[in-house]
Amino acid sequence: MRISRRDSARKHGVSTLTFKLWDFTGTALLNLFMLLFLVVYLSPLSFMVIAALTPSNQFLDANAPILPSRRVTFNYEGKDRIVYQVPTENGVKHWALYKPSRQSSEFIDPENPEAGLIHWEGQWRGLKAVYKFQPTLENFTEFLGITKLPLLFRNTLLVALISEIGVLFSSIAVAYGFSRFRLPGGKYLFFLLIATIMIPSNITLVPTYFLFSGHMLNWIGTWLPLIVPHFFGSAILIFLLRQNFKSIPRDLDEAAMLDGAGPLRILISVILPQSIPVVTTVALLHFFYIWNETRYASLYLGISPNLQTISFGIQRSQSFFFTPEALMVGALVVMVFPVVILFISQRFFMQDMIVTQIEK
Amino acid sequence: MAMENVTGVRIAQKTIKSKRIQREGWVGLLFLSPWLLGFILLKALPILAALIFSLTNFQMLNPGETEFIGLENYARFFRDIEAGANLFGSLEYFLLTVPLEMIVALLLAGIFTSARLKNKRLSRTLLFMTSIIPATSIFFIFLGSLQYAERILVDRMILPPIDGFGLLLPFMALWSVGPGFLIMLSAMESVPNELYEAARVDGAGPLARFIYITLPMISPAIFFTLVVNLTGAFGGSVLLDRGYILSFSLAPMEGYINEMMFTESDLGYASALAWVTFTAMMIMVVLLFRSASRWVYFPEEDEVANI
Repeated sequence: MRISRRDSARKHGVSTLTFKLWDFTGTALLNLFMLLFLVVYLSPLSFMVIAALTPSNQFLDANAPILPSRRVTFNYEGKDRIVYQVPTENGVKHWALYKPSRQSSEFIDPENPEAGLIHWEGQWRGLKAVYKFQPTLENFTEFLGITKLPLLFRNTLLVALISEIGVLFSSIAVAYGFSRFRLPGGKYLFFLLIATIMIPSNITLVPTYFLFSGHMLNWIGTWLPLIVPHFFGSAILIFLLRQNFKSIPRDLDEAAMLDGAGPLRILISVILPQSIPVVTTVALLHFFYIWNETRYASLYLGISPNLQTISFGIQRSQSFFFTPEALMVGALVVMVFPVVILFISQRFFMQDMIVTQIEK
Repeated sequence: MAMENVTGVRIAQKTIKSKRIQREGWVGLLFLSPWLLGFILLKALPILAALIFSLTNFQMLNPGETEFIGLENYARFFRDIEAGANLFGSLEYFLLTVPLEMIVALLLAGIFTSARLKNKRLSRTLLFMTSIIPATSIFFIFLGSLQYAERILVDRMILPPIDGFGLLLPFMALWSVGPGFLIMLSAMESVPNELYEAARVDGAGPLARFIYITLPMISPAIFFTLVVNLTGAFGGSVLLDRGYILSFSLAPMEGYINEMMFTESDLGYASALAWVTFTAMMIMVVLLFRSASRWVYFPEEDEVANI
């Protein structure tokens, strides 16, 4: 039975109206706090979006404004001429530069071209150009032009999903083994698992590469080095699942055991239904890991362009023009799909999904 | 006669019990078999090879001249001031990033369990999103935002000048809050509702419920995050990749090992450094596991798996 806050408030002699007001204030404050936090937390992302929409030469121009913009030009006598802010006796004028020279220059007034050339004394290089707000999508089109996005996308999705199946099955089974059985030397086996997490990964790189190379398994240039290891479980995810399985009380296991359920049956119908949030977390973490993984992809798929995964493929494209806007475009493109997945998967985090009680 | 009979029964009971435990052990090993098999087939040999490399002067550019040099690489570590500095640098990196990251993750997860919060789906997605931005982009976002902040706030005298690089690590830590947040949240969602109801009936407020129910119940998840972040700071496995390239790492010690390996191509010394790092990590993790029996709560503790 659920005892609502309202009931307990009534018991203490608080009127319904007071309670409602209090309740509303609490809700409003909490949501306001979250909103403010998110605004501050995500504010650097605005740079990402702005940079992605900024024309490529703007970052080289120290005088350029923050927002994506272009220099205003004025077409005069068949040529685009840049408009500058020119200080004169009558205030700052927006004039187009017609004939630059060191000490004095000829300008033309875009609003009144008939008046002809205006002579201005001063160094035109010290002048600031006039800018106009104008976001552009050219970074995206240029970037997508040199990146085989659909192919990269398909490859990554396949690698991620196939290895996901393996990593979930194995890690759940192994975590169950670690959390529920008296193993011979169980403590040492578990420390061995933890030890494999702690070995600096690059140090086994050379021997592992040798193992996968033509000398032994001949897997270079295929997805196998990226997929097969996950079918033996991921130590870090096993550790996470084991922590969760161990915190599930054993009375339900024992009840099921008395009903004649075997170990596998207990795992499937007692442990897993109570672990939906953590299993979802594990599945998501593995998916994002594969999505962003670049080291092994570059090592094993460098020679086969048609099998490359998205993170590696995009970093390769970025290496052709390593500019802020290309980086931001690449990052945005890489992020879109995981964010969608994350949004959809939220269903599985809801409390209602978890079976915490069995009908008695 | 009767006595003998009783002893016989006792012995029989004991053997039945030990047989049951034995059988349980074999079933458990069966569940462990995917990982054990993977360890033997894919991990054991490379690890052994790395151990052997650390005893040689293996240069990746001319492997033909490799010689066994005993513990010379380890002796070199103790003479190498830079290596020691990087080892402590990793500890500093851990202390600068992990507590901040974990506390923010914990508080956010706590807020998310409240039924009063609206638009949870969207907020959760937005909070996690920053953790999957590729590393190269993150540096540009950080520097770019800093520049904007300076142009908007500092130049107009709203803020005093900002020490940019001092903020990088906390910034990275905050923007990596996603996995920890998700793990703590999923642990919190698994806490049985009845516990909260019971506490509410006893008059516990939200803060008391968080401290006395949520924190102990999710202590296994907190412990996990702590161990994994510790290993991450020294260059072990990580939960989430930011698309780092082979030779790059934010963790100082891993960066130094990578430098020895890829720039100097001195695999022998790099391997020795890795084993030193591994030993340092293992000591810290064993200490953490020792401390676990005091603060990590599992519903049924038994002497077999008391971790």
